[in-house]
Amino acid sequence: MSGVDPNARINLSKASVLLVDGSQHSLDMLVQIMKGFGAAEVHRAQGVAETERLLKSKSFDLIVIDPNLADGDGYALVRDLRHSTNGSPNAFIPVILVSGHARASDVAKARDTGANYFVAKPITPNVLLQRIMFVSRDKRPFVEVGAYVGPDRRFKFEGPPVGSDGRRNSDLKSPLGTADEPNMSQNEIDMMIKPQRVML
Amino acid sequence: MSVVVRKFEPDSKLKKMLDQPGGVTAEQALARAKQGLESIREDCLGATDEKIASLQVLAGGAEAGRGEKMYRLSNEVFAEAGGFGLGELSAVAHSLCSLLAAHEGAQPPRAAVMVHVEAMRALRRPELAGDKAARMAVLQGLRGLVQKFSAPAG
Repeated sequence: MSGVDPNARINLSKASVLLVDGSQHSLDMLVQIMKGFGAAEVHRAQGVAETERLLKSKSFDLIVIDPNLADGDGYALVRDLRHSTNGSPNAFIPVILVSGHARASDVAKARDTGANYFVAKPITPNVLLQRIMFVSRDKRPFVEVGAYVGPDRRFKFEGPPVGSDGRRNSDLKSPLGTADEPNMSQNEIDMMIKPQRVML
Repeated sequence: MSVVVRKFEPDSKLKKMLDQPGGVTAEQALARAKQGLESIREDCLGATDEKIASLQVLAGGAEAGRGEKMYRLSNEVFAEAGGFGLGELSAVAHSLCSLLAAHEGAQPPRAAVMVHVEAMRALRRPELAGDKAARMAVLQGLRGLVQKFSAPAG
């Protein structure tokens, strides 16, 4: 079980989760996984209209969504959710975007939705549990800049643990000092954010 | 040009819930999730068979918008077969998605689509589809096919 401590405890016994996928069978798979994790309430939706209705009427603790929906754009749905700041209880809840094959045009859309994390299908319980635990402990602040509202897309490297010089020659020493290389290009940043399949 | 950035830290109910006493261990959670998945395996793989059959009909037809319909079905086969451990079938479905995405808005190459659908039918039951080397050769061949049909014209 790579990546998750088998003895770590998780308590979703009061959690209300919204699962959205255009395929009934992919949705069934997500439901089984989340029920296995012990989620108290699992709500499901297969389209944009149904999802919007649920988001307006209920308060959730986590959304897992495949944005490729038959009746509309799931990317826009997540983006609109992040902008729905006028009292919506769900505006800033954790959103995990799951995606099957992604067209090149979808990658940029995914990056700009304001979702907390991206997971490539096929989904396995191990990977989904890892991502839920990561998202729940994610300390990145939300930012609102231009049309983007969501977690800061820059992951910060904070060096080796305090009091340690690190275990690798390449570990940066503190203080870091001034940069000696040019900033990354937008293209390089985009490639880091692109959804990747995790091999366990 | 200055850009206004607002930073804020929304309250995370999920973190508080996960850390509350009680619940289950990660090992138990994963075991229960896998058990739940097993309970729907036959149903889901039965649906996969139907999706492959639909792909075959669409591949042989001339229906408007069939490329998008095939892309959606193939994407579902990719995710669902892969989720149940049929990695080779999932890889073929992903390859078909790549082929169809490269021809978005245009007629996909019929012969290349048909080859993918036939490979899906064969790899749905990998134990009947030859040895591993033969199955890998099929996947390698499909990769070459997609590269050929996805290359820019000229």
